[in-house]
Amino acid sequence: MSRVLTYVLTWIALLVLLALTLGSAFIPLGPWNGVVNLAIAAAKALLIAVMFMHLRRSSALLRLAPLIALYTLALLVGLSTTDYAVRHVFAAPWSSPR
Amino acid sequence: MSEALRRPAEQFDTRSQQHEASLFGTWAFLATELMFFGPLFLAYIYGRFHEGHAFALGSQHTHLWLGSLNTAILLTSSLAMALSVRAAEAGERRALTRWLLVTALLGVVFLLVKGLEYREEWNEGLVPVLQFAYEGPDEAGVEFFFLLYFLMTGVHALHLAIGIALVLWLAVCAKRARFESLYSTPVEAVGLYWHFVDALWVFLYPLLYLLERYSA
Repeated sequence: MSRVLTYVLTWIALLVLLALTLGSAFIPLGPWNGVVNLAIAAAKALLIAVMFMHLRRSSALLRLAPLIALYTLALLVGLSTTDYAVRHVFAAPWSSPR
Repeated sequence: MSEALRRPAEQFDTRSQQHEASLFGTWAFLATELMFFGPLFLAYIYGRFHEGHAFALGSQHTHLWLGSLNTAILLTSSLAMALSVRAAEAGERRALTRWLLVTALLGVVFLLVKGLEYREEWNEGLVPVLQFAYEGPDEAGVEFFFLLYFLMTGVHALHLAIGIALVLWLAVCAKRARFESLYSTPVEAVGLYWHFVDALWVFLYPLLYLLERYSA
């Protein structure tokens, strides 16, 4: 398959995913709306990274770079959100009521 | 092309090694960009969990169709960028110049639509601190949402503006025949940046525009 055709098919797939995510937003799924939206966003980002950013034909070194970046971000966000989720803020006597 | 450019720079053994190093450097830069955007996403996660209802209310005040149109425009610009890189590697100078200009044009259209959205939001009094007239339940939460909305889309628009300048610079270089099939690294590096900014928007779009649309 020629590279031009591959890119055009990737673009069509991206637009189909955009239509899917837009359409799904109007169907009440409760918390699953967010899951569907983020899953579709991840699929789109993966398509862009693998096809448009050439990770498909890149060396292992170049493939590792974004993976390590995402891993580091997940680590930092994970630790920070854990802190927000479990920390109790005890109001001091002089602090204004919340 | 001069003989000097055909040889690898002094610190490299081969041209392919030099090419690989340039792309690796670009990916490392994109990694730092991800760390730069990371705290904004963290703030969003915090807000979505602690002010969930207010975030949904705020999201329903964004302009869904303009945002969706812009997503399609940006995805299409990435296609044009990918075709630019292909043309650069194939040494097709005219096609390269043409696709680079299409990429930059789509980027400019994205910014114009974004500006239109910002003007609407200003008129509707949805700009925190400067022009915030929203009244109703969860006022503070909605203001927090719009603060993040303007921060995230604003920083993204800044990145896109830099991308447009870089692509136009590439177009000038291409017109002056600076690239050929043996030397297309700058086009590929700027392409990586452009696709990164696109992929970032792919996440901003559902987070900012699509919350609980069914209840609006």
